[in-house]
Amino acid sequence: MLKLATALGAASLAGSLGCGGNEAPPRIGGAPPPVGPKPPQAPPQAKIVYFARFGVTESLIRDALGVALAKGGDYADVFFQHRVGSTMALEDGEVNRAFASVDLGVGVRVVKGDQTGYGYTEELTLEAIKNAAATAASIADGPSRDAPAIFRADPGPGGAFPARYLLKRGWEDVSPKEKLPFLLALNERTFKADPRVKKVSVGFSDEHGAVLVADSNGRLVEDVQPMTSLYLSCVAEDKGRREQNGYNVAGREGLDFYTEDRLARMVREAVGRTVILFDAVQPPAGEMPIVMAAGSSGILLHEAIGHGMEADFNRKNTSIYSDRIGKPVAKPFVNIVDDGSIDGARGSINVDDEGNVAGKTLLVDGGTLATYLHDSISAKFYKVPSTGSGRRESFRFPPMPRMRSTYMQNGPHKRDEIIASVKKGILCTNFTNGQVNIGAGDFTFYVKNGFLIEDGKLTRPIKDVNIIGNGPKVLEKIDMVADDLAIDEGGWTCGKNGQSVPVSQGIPTVRVSAITVGGRKA
Amino acid sequence: MSELLDVAKKAVSLAQQKGAKEARVTAYRSRDVALQWRDGKVENVTEATTRGINVQLYVDGRYASVSTSDLRPEALERFLDDSVAMARTLTADAFRTLPDPKLYAGRSSADLVLVDPKYGDRTADARRALAKQLEDAARGVKGADVILSVTTNVADSNGRTARATSNGFEGERESTDFSVSVDVSVKDPDGRRPSDGLGASSHFFADLPPAEELGRASTARALARIGAKKTESKVMTMVVENRVARRLVGALLGAMTARAVQQKQSFLEGKVGTPLFGKLFTMIDDPFVPKGMGSRLFDGEGIAAKRFPVVEAGVLKALYIDDYYGRKLHLAPTTAGASNLLFPGGKGDLEELIKGVKDGVLVTGFLGGNTNGTTGDYSLGVQGFRIRDGKRAEPVGETNISGNQVGLWQKLVKVGADPYAFSSMRTPTMVFDAVQFAGV
Repeated sequence: MLKLATALGAASLAGSLGCGGNEAPPRIGGAPPPVGPKPPQAPPQAKIVYFARFGVTESLIRDALGVALAKGGDYADVFFQHRVGSTMALEDGEVNRAFASVDLGVGVRVVKGDQTGYGYTEELTLEAIKNAAATAASIADGPSRDAPAIFRADPGPGGAFPARYLLKRGWEDVSPKEKLPFLLALNERTFKADPRVKKVSVGFSDEHGAVLVADSNGRLVEDVQPMTSLYLSCVAEDKGRREQNGYNVAGREGLDFYTEDRLARMVREAVGRTVILFDAVQPPAGEMPIVMAAGSSGILLHEAIGHGMEADFNRKNTSIYSDRIGKPVAKPFVNIVDDGSIDGARGSINVDDEGNVAGKTLLVDGGTLATYLHDSISAKFYKVPSTGSGRRESFRFPPMPRMRSTYMQNGPHKRDEIIASVKKGILCTNFTNGQVNIGAGDFTFYVKNGFLIEDGKLTRPIKDVNIIGNGPKVLEKIDMVADDLAIDEGGWTCGKNGQSVPVSQGIPTVRVSAITVGGRKA
Repeated sequence: MSELLDVAKKAVSLAQQKGAKEARVTAYRSRDVALQWRDGKVENVTEATTRGINVQLYVDGRYASVSTSDLRPEALERFLDDSVAMARTLTADAFRTLPDPKLYAGRSSADLVLVDPKYGDRTADARRALAKQLEDAARGVKGADVILSVTTNVADSNGRTARATSNGFEGERESTDFSVSVDVSVKDPDGRRPSDGLGASSHFFADLPPAEELGRASTARALARIGAKKTESKVMTMVVENRVARRLVGALLGAMTARAVQQKQSFLEGKVGTPLFGKLFTMIDDPFVPKGMGSRLFDGEGIAAKRFPVVEAGVLKALYIDDYYGRKLHLAPTTAGASNLLFPGGKGDLEELIKGVKDGVLVTGFLGGNTNGTTGDYSLGVQGFRIRDGKRAEPVGETNISGNQVGLWQKLVKVGADPYAFSSMRTPTMVFDAVQFAGV
């Protein structure tokens, strides 16, 4: 089972990351004072810069890979990670709680055919890393192979590593005091926006750190990976009724992400999406046409096709899309992409967690199923290049094929034309979570806000309704696509086999001619 | 004193040296091994020992909760320095202190029986043999020729935590944990590749269901998914299988927390003491179940565990009140979250309860959906089977249920005596009347 959710779904801040400092720019949390230059705001590079402060050297990596290959694995890699984040949160008018965590460790992977051995440790000593490597090595049973003598860059056909999230100022240089005004301003403005607002909570999270991947083919790359998100949640009361809703934004961005425009939109959307719920009518039940609004409706693609195109399920023959590459799955104007390259997007990565440059992958090209999302194991299995989709939650997990930013490209129709075409149906505008069964193809997404469409017009708002469909059947039923593609700015997190990774999604306005709406009025 | 408790106590002292007035530290160490086996061979083995600390700092009424896996002495000092400094930038919060030590008192000394003395017997070879046995059992079923793939998982761990606070709390917990699961994918003539299976978790290896039984039942479940179709959109009786009923209970728990109430995000606010649900609905929080998956002697704040009714014959009796939000609400704390949940008073099992249903749906799985904790409105995807004239009929998928939590639990008309043993939520089979289904 695969799940997708926004930050808003979670009421608590448990699991948030990080550590801050004082007025003086805080040091990297938990680490000794950096030796030499400050942590780089730099594109990926094929040398050990960030991790030098932890005593990581090429010689240590070579020794670890040597142990990993001692039993004849085909391939081995080491994945170092340092992730430091912080969350400051406001409740009942005050920024009165903070959360921080430091995650530091290394995972060692050995691959034999399509079998994987994996070990990890939080201790970056040679002895601990060699132990983890020996654990991983036991997947194989053969003669020892040599570790690479030298390490090099492998940026792929592009010739250079991309730089998709270079910050002017890294989060390690932003003091907690600089974040406070954002929380306080959102609180004040949200209460001012509507007298019915009774409770406001705000959470500001940021993350800095880096990963280093080095493998038995002698490839090495280090990538500095920032992240930030800000959520705003409010509860309103009207004539004895209460409703709660909110808005959140996220990206691999710095403090300058939080522009006046963005903050104003957060307040407008959070309040608007909450108070409209008082006017909502019971959503209908049964099959009907739906219109998915541009933006976060990309959740439809994530569930209906994205997961099913992850190559591990296809390699295992368990996806509903197994054996369908090259076959028509949608109208010719449907083009669906999974893209690691959008500047600053939450789902973007320069290199994946196997060191491959992440590009733009066409899942559906002119209505035809085009390319699976590959990690190195599935790429080898299918004898194709990796799509740079091998991702992991942390050093505690081996990578697997994952989505990055999944969206549909523009089509030939207009938004107004699409809404006008629906006699009785609903428009879905805002979502909290979704889920899919890969093999059966059944998927759902939960609509927090929407509208009834009656005789081609938006009439009453609706709320809290789950929509359920079957991936390939729904793809066939996407019969109108507008030209207003928007990538959602929200903080989506995708869960698969116990690993969570940040993703993005987007879509232009589209129509699905029939799907089951889980409402309350048959 | 264990080494881990020593780590926790030293970190408490260090946090105080760094300027925290009070502190709570939880140190943990866990050995985890997970084997995934697919179609006759190992797919993945992960093995590691993980450790770290979680620290709650109370710096002059300013609160920060932090964690780190970097326990090098100089790194830990720096981390606590930074964390205290971060806390100092916050607004003081008069409600933030450690709990009154009186709440730590009266801790039971019961043996919860959470450690399997035979944990050490689990070797790499034994795990592989079990994974293979599960697959062989799954493939040994009649009709197995439509199986596309079988994945089995075998995992075990041995985890310890130690907690100490600056106002005198000390506590430790150790458990062994074992889990197995089987997932079977089958070919449906209509082109779909439905999968289903079973899993179980337990503190004692010997308490897991026999591999033969689990494998066979997993394939039977997967084969039963073939031909699943959406059902009619109408109001029907719903029978929920014991192992998945926790999804419905979980939706209630979110609204039962003191935070939800204090933040005006609970449809249960002001309802304690009122007969809100159907008379058949009784739910007891019991932290002392021997071998229970949620058993504990104290909770995350150190409060001594107690058994208490949450819902009794339909009357909401208590909420989950942690120390902080309890202060804000002027309510005495109960505990921060559920331990084991028991649902006594039922009769019969799934097959018997199906017999009493003329026209309905048996739900064997949920898919997505959500519950609005502020209003109680829910909308959830389901799969399972139609029930016609007391018999399990054709498979159902791509279907949804919707309503309000209060209305749902008021219409709980039958409860089984068949609690699901492999979860902290020991839900029995449950039968609800008049649930809105949406399909075709």
